[in-house]
Amino acid sequence: MPQIDPTKPRFWRSVEDFTSGADRPKAAHGYPELVGREFPVGATEIDGATRRDFLKLVGLTAAGTMAAGCMRNPPERILPYVRQPADIRPGIPLHYATSTSLGGYGIGLLVTSREGRPIKVEGNPDHPASFGASGTFEQALAYGVYDPQRGKHVKRKGELSGWKSFKADVISRLEAAKADNGKKILFLDGPTASPFDGWLRKQVGKTLPEAKFVTFTSVDRDAVFDGTELAFGQRLETRFDFDKARVVLALDDDFLESGPDRLVHARDFARHRVPAPDGAEGAASLGGDDAKTRPSAGEWMNRLYVAECAYSVTGGQADHRLRVRGSDIICLAAALYARLVPDGAADVAALAAPYKDSKWVAAVAKDLSSRGAQAVVTVGTRQPAEVHALAAAINATLKSEVVEYGRPLLLDTKSGSSTLKDIVAQANAGQIDTLVITAWNPVYAAPSDIAFADALTKIPNVVYYGQFEDETSVHAHWFIPAAHDLESWGDSTSIDGTVAIQQPLIAPLFDGVQRGELFGAFAGMPDSTAHELLREAHSQTSADMTANGGFEPWWERVLQKGVLSPTPPDTITPTLQTAKIGERLRPFKFERIEGIEINYVVDNKVHDGRYGDNAWLQELPEPLTKVVWGNVGMISPAMAEKNGLAAEEIVKLTVDGRTIEVPLFVLPGHAEDSISLAIGYGRTGGEAIARGVGSNANALRTTSAPWFGSRATLAKTGKSDRLGITQEHWAMEGRPIALTAELADVKRKHLPMVEEQNGPQPSMMDEWPNTSPEGYRWAMAIDMAKCTGCNACILACESENNILIVGKDQVRRGREMHWLRVDRYFEEVDGSLADAKVVVQPMACVQCEKAPCEYVCPVNATVHSDEGLNDMVYNRCVGTRYCANNCPYKVRRFNYLNWHNSLQGTYEMKMNPDVTVRARGVMEKCTYCVQRIEQARIATRTENHGVGRVIRDGEVVTACQQSCASGAISFGSLHDPKSEVSKKHADERAYAVLWELNTRPRTRHLAKVRNPNPELA
Amino acid sequence: MGLNPRSPMATTSHVLFPRWSNHLVRAALGAVGIGAGMLLIFAFAYFRSPLFTRQNEPINQPVEFDHRHHVRDHGIDCRFCHTTVEKGESAGYPPTEVCGSCHGQVWNKSPYLATIRASLFTNKPLEWLRVNDLRDYVYFNHSAHVNKGVGCATCHGRVDEMAAVFKHPPMNMGWCLDCHRNPNHNLRPREFITSMTWKAEDPEAIGAAVAKQNNVHTRTSCSTCHR
Amino acid sequence: MSAAAAHTPVPEHLREAPLIEGPQSDRTLTDSILHPVWRDPGRGWWMALAVTSTFLGILVLCIAYLLLTGVGVWGNNSPVFWAFDIINFVWWVGIGHAGTLISAILLLFQQGWRTSINRFAEAMTLFAVICAAIYPGLHTGRPWFAAYWLVPIPNTMDIWPNFKSPLVWDVFAISTYFTVSLLFWYVGLIPDLATLRDASVSRTRRLVYGFFSLGWRGSARHWYNWKWAYLLLAGISTPLVLSVHTIVSFDFATSIIPGWHTTIFPPYFVAGAVFSGFAMVLSLLIPARHFMGLKHVLTMRHIDNMCKIILVTGWMVTFGYICEYFADWYSGSIYEVGQILVRMLGPYAWSFWLLVFCNCIVANLFWFRSMRRNLWVVWIVAALVNVGMWLERFVIIVVSLHRDFMPASWGMYYPTIIDIGMITGTMGLFGTAFLVFLKFVPAVALAEVKELRYETELQLQHAEEAH
Repeated sequence: MPQIDPTKPRFWRSVEDFTSGADRPKAAHGYPELVGREFPVGATEIDGATRRDFLKLVGLTAAGTMAAGCMRNPPERILPYVRQPADIRPGIPLHYATSTSLGGYGIGLLVTSREGRPIKVEGNPDHPASFGASGTFEQALAYGVYDPQRGKHVKRKGELSGWKSFKADVISRLEAAKADNGKKILFLDGPTASPFDGWLRKQVGKTLPEAKFVTFTSVDRDAVFDGTELAFGQRLETRFDFDKARVVLALDDDFLESGPDRLVHARDFARHRVPAPDGAEGAASLGGDDAKTRPSAGEWMNRLYVAECAYSVTGGQADHRLRVRGSDIICLAAALYARLVPDGAADVAALAAPYKDSKWVAAVAKDLSSRGAQAVVTVGTRQPAEVHALAAAINATLKSEVVEYGRPLLLDTKSGSSTLKDIVAQANAGQIDTLVITAWNPVYAAPSDIAFADALTKIPNVVYYGQFEDETSVHAHWFIPAAHDLESWGDSTSIDGTVAIQQPLIAPLFDGVQRGELFGAFAGMPDSTAHELLREAHSQTSADMTANGGFEPWWERVLQKGVLSPTPPDTITPTLQTAKIGERLRPFKFERIEGIEINYVVDNKVHDGRYGDNAWLQELPEPLTKVVWGNVGMISPAMAEKNGLAAEEIVKLTVDGRTIEVPLFVLPGHAEDSISLAIGYGRTGGEAIARGVGSNANALRTTSAPWFGSRATLAKTGKSDRLGITQEHWAMEGRPIALTAELADVKRKHLPMVEEQNGPQPSMMDEWPNTSPEGYRWAMAIDMAKCTGCNACILACESENNILIVGKDQVRRGREMHWLRVDRYFEEVDGSLADAKVVVQPMACVQCEKAPCEYVCPVNATVHSDEGLNDMVYNRCVGTRYCANNCPYKVRRFNYLNWHNSLQGTYEMKMNPDVTVRARGVMEKCTYCVQRIEQARIATRTENHGVGRVIRDGEVVTACQQSCASGAISFGSLHDPKSEVSKKHADERAYAVLWELNTRPRTRHLAKVRNPNPELA
Repeated sequence: MGLNPRSPMATTSHVLFPRWSNHLVRAALGAVGIGAGMLLIFAFAYFRSPLFTRQNEPINQPVEFDHRHHVRDHGIDCRFCHTTVEKGESAGYPPTEVCGSCHGQVWNKSPYLATIRASLFTNKPLEWLRVNDLRDYVYFNHSAHVNKGVGCATCHGRVDEMAAVFKHPPMNMGWCLDCHRNPNHNLRPREFITSMTWKAEDPEAIGAAVAKQNNVHTRTSCSTCHR
Repeated sequence: MSAAAAHTPVPEHLREAPLIEGPQSDRTLTDSILHPVWRDPGRGWWMALAVTSTFLGILVLCIAYLLLTGVGVWGNNSPVFWAFDIINFVWWVGIGHAGTLISAILLLFQQGWRTSINRFAEAMTLFAVICAAIYPGLHTGRPWFAAYWLVPIPNTMDIWPNFKSPLVWDVFAISTYFTVSLLFWYVGLIPDLATLRDASVSRTRRLVYGFFSLGWRGSARHWYNWKWAYLLLAGISTPLVLSVHTIVSFDFATSIIPGWHTTIFPPYFVAGAVFSGFAMVLSLLIPARHFMGLKHVLTMRHIDNMCKIILVTGWMVTFGYICEYFADWYSGSIYEVGQILVRMLGPYAWSFWLLVFCNCIVANLFWFRSMRRNLWVVWIVAALVNVGMWLERFVIIVVSLHRDFMPASWGMYYPTIIDIGMITGTMGLFGTAFLVFLKFVPAVALAEVKELRYETELQLQHAEEAH
């Protein structure tokens, strides 16, 4: 783990700054709190001697060695505020609504702040795109903001410089540019739909009328827009409402785990992944918007077909999955088109040929058409425009209610590699004087056949604005450290058109510059803060504003809710142009790539590489391979056998002349004659964590074949790399652990497997005595039918409970610390792994009522609470590890080494003060977020003058439950028969894992349900 | 005893160890035994004594703040300065401006208050020393106790009689558990929570009544305090 | 006639070999047995000591590194939370069993042949238990707490150890066992220390030996009290022979892990302990008697008897295995059956089959007299048995843990250099202690051997007088 920069960055602006009012806001709402929280960090309760260290952490390490108590440590110092800011009460958490965006689309966030430190990111319940849930990337922001690897200084040609001198430089250049209206100034931005960005561009346009803005990202959505253009003659945003879908065909589309609307997709899809509406869901589904589409109970559950190359999260949910190479998808789509779009069959005959008589295609086509409006075909952004057009045509012919179109929200719907091509051309032609790069790391992300780095050398002034000094910054004349999303003012637009405000939780830790301020400088407003600019951008009066009595009160309300009053998304019903599609596709011939096709996938952890320095994400197990810290070449078992290749073997991968080395992973269910490789690794930038992890797929990608479609050759190297894999064994060995059932069986209540794992057992042990005064019996239910295995819960848990990362080597030694793990089992289909099915099973401590871990602990460090929690007392634990041996679920984690040696400076600020940071030599595990239970208890018990009341169902929400978009996790007390968890426990699919051991777990799992098509059975 | 004169013992042994050495050995053995016992007793005593618990050790604060003056003489309520005691886990420490609010007018020239003025003018926080320092893995919450009828004086003693505040009870786990196992004898009606002088004529009866009203109950699960 | 029949001499091969060979007098016995103490140790001894103390040094380094860094320096992981640490602990405790068995049980059964080997075995017990005692403390994550939180001391936290946990029982079992063994060994030594005192020339030696012989003068009263004390201790430690390893076996038997959760453990752990204990005695005694010229008191008959005991306990252990696997299979539990298969066919199958070879097969050589008499064979078998018993613990601990209930959490275990350092290190500690013991006190209980000689001579006289 990296050490923090010895030149200690100022985490907290000094008192002087504060009083002298250096960029101190005028009576800006939401801001005074900020200033207060920036100064001085968690003033009260902080040990003055080590202001940057955190009491809980320091204390704990101390506790580790001194709790014996024979030592007298010097008295702590306490630094109260001089002037206590309004609504700051030390020790009482505050929640602020903000937002972030990925790929240009916004997601609302609700961030918990302790004494001015953002420590936990959740979804904003008021924001339609997050509705309180969050994914791995959002959760990981809480780590990213404290990453000490971030760029700390404005640099000019690698030399330390300053923001002021940069602004001076900009001003002089603007003067010079006046002559030609800045036509030689180019802004290369990432995709964005933010109104603020739009406003800023306008402002820049005022000073530099001819300056251009172009967009680039290596995971662009261009195909979506090109597709609609081809199908409907206009570039349109495509949205899906899976709540209305009953039959879904996903063509190479990981819609549950990727894309701007993934959380909403996961929620809506999961609602219909169960035989019938359950619990609160059921109630909700009875009325409201759903009423019209709500089908009879039998039709509640949806059916998913997936055709893809490498197993994706969505693929894992499929009822029928077809393994095809990326380049075959177009034929598949054409074959369906031929069957479903009557007047188009002839045009695509040539393309459709390979799948003309496919039983699979026939069955799917039949199923789709039979469901009509409730059926939909989705296509991944990896696929070319033609496939999107075909799908759009099919959906239009089906009159699918699931898909709807709207005007594009992105400021720029062209963000593919073509942008870079143009820049290179202009640069070589000397048409660019100043290139301002705010897109993420184009030098790394550029396809291998675009010499973008060389082009930069031909541009006199390259400004790179990024969070890290990476591959691009070394080619830039100016490096401007970017402020983190949690440090910046801004806004975002989610795919459904909701505008959300982004407000900083903390002053930039490393003197990062806010986006608004950068563009402000070019817009001739170098001295106004991002905050002022944002307020100005939103100052034009709206109906909503007047309704709320003017700007200030309206603005305050917006900051509280985090979202501007949602405007209903404009829906466009375009007209299909089959003829256009026809003439485009008629010339198409399908020539199959001989040998091995290479297939690039977007990584679930580092995305396109931008999260490479985030150790939380790096150590997250990839959902299907369970590989951490790096990417692997995924091949099918048959292919491995045929070519005599083995897992963990390093091969030389060559694509038209360019070569990288990559370790192999044999992934059941992978397409034949094809190797899949995640992009975003093999970084060479300045980020200590990202550097050297995995191999760089971009070194092989080309503009012509950005995702697939080029031939690869594999050569053995004789070397091998022991991968960090958190689950080494894929088979369930016929043990009743992760159970599955088919819809038909659930309907006729025929679930022998589940019944076997249920009910009381003959036992000498009496029932668990409920001695809790209020009668709480905390329990959890995990619905495996809804769980997609997306890992969000793991990060939520990691973030809430101060779980530490251990690094690749320690993971190899089987010492990862995740309290919550998601087990992934492959189920052989008729004796072969070729088309193996996937079951994922989240597994944390199940809080056994008769816990095997408890009686073996010699020091009473793990004992039962009166409410049925299996308490783990870290400060009592001596680390005999006997409990972990005796835990049949193997959910206990041991601090083999002093993991938080690796926690330097800013990381420590991330720690949740409500959870003990475990010392070396201590056992730890999930306790149902007991700190949240206790907070709720204290809150409720101190109500109405100390008389108190009982905690209501839903008042305690565990971190994992909170993050889960598909609502697979329920938590509550069994003493209330009406509680959601009680209902789940009563469900006919509920069972106790390892029931026969009579551990009486409080966590029940609900069997996964599959809804196969009888015709394909 | 009739020793064989040819045996080496006849010639050497009495030289080797004189008779008194027997007593010496016995004495030594006794001493070791008793010493061990004493050591044990000392250890037991030490960890329960103020030597270790640091009870009754007045701590000199940077500001010579005298609770006797403010609480006893002027009858200022604890909550005037320790504002979050009913709302949060920490009772809270007054920002300097709270001191300023009065001492802007009274004693605003007093040399005793120099540090306070300095803090106000330079905007540098005062640095108090913690008196009641619990281990950081103990999650104590003031609001949970105060609202249920545990008085300030119960744990902090007669602060109104302390020139410099000191730790009143041992504050070790045993002490906590005593009350957590049977809280009644430490409960008092809400109106007397901050009273320093309140005495119950029949603590058990009143405690029981308060416990009933606030439905106070014993909590001894580990997670109550350790998380 | 009957008298003639009485006179016909017993044929050689049927006559019991003597326990003391050759014509011996008290003087010759004293000289020969004390000779190793008097004589200058010689290069062999020094070289041996050099080797063992090097390993001892390694042990110290390993422990220091361990304490500074954490148990992560070992190969232990999840799911294999216990590995070499507990294996070595159980192994050493097991070895420690021969001592008490020989001293106590054989004494109570009045087995004459125990006399010349008991001192040896008891010393070995002590050192083995010391080696064992290193592990339980150090294997914990925070030894500085474990040191006293596992002991029931009334404390200000109002917290007691969890008496349901076998680990707490271990604390009592091991400490009791060590104390009693130490007393037993020391009490046995007293008369010999007195002899050393009287026979030694330098004053310092006389003082030291004199101090430890507690003023022993060999008076009838001394002998009388001494006999009683010795017998009482024998009585006390007899149950310990059974209890200690029974309790150690509870660490596993009381848990629910397939391969641990079985009732056969206590008996076969004890049998196994004796098995390995005698093997260790043999593998030390054979070289010792050779180099120290003690062949006349440590005779082939001793070795022969010990071989027989190894043969018997070997079969007890084998029977234990059979019972265990039968029970696993008979339980019908997929997890128990799965555990058998993992042991026999899993990635660590080699350890299982090697253990079967060492513990169940090799010892059968001792069915044959010729084999029991061939010192090379005996020594190699003894060594193999010790290996086998170590592997037994490896199979029970590592192999059971590495694949238990949930396939998703299965994982492999690989020892680190520190693991190796610790096991060899404890062997170094053991060896060093043993060499020092051989140098400074008589390796054979002198007084008892003399007594034995009188008894045997008396028996001969009676035999003469009979006709």
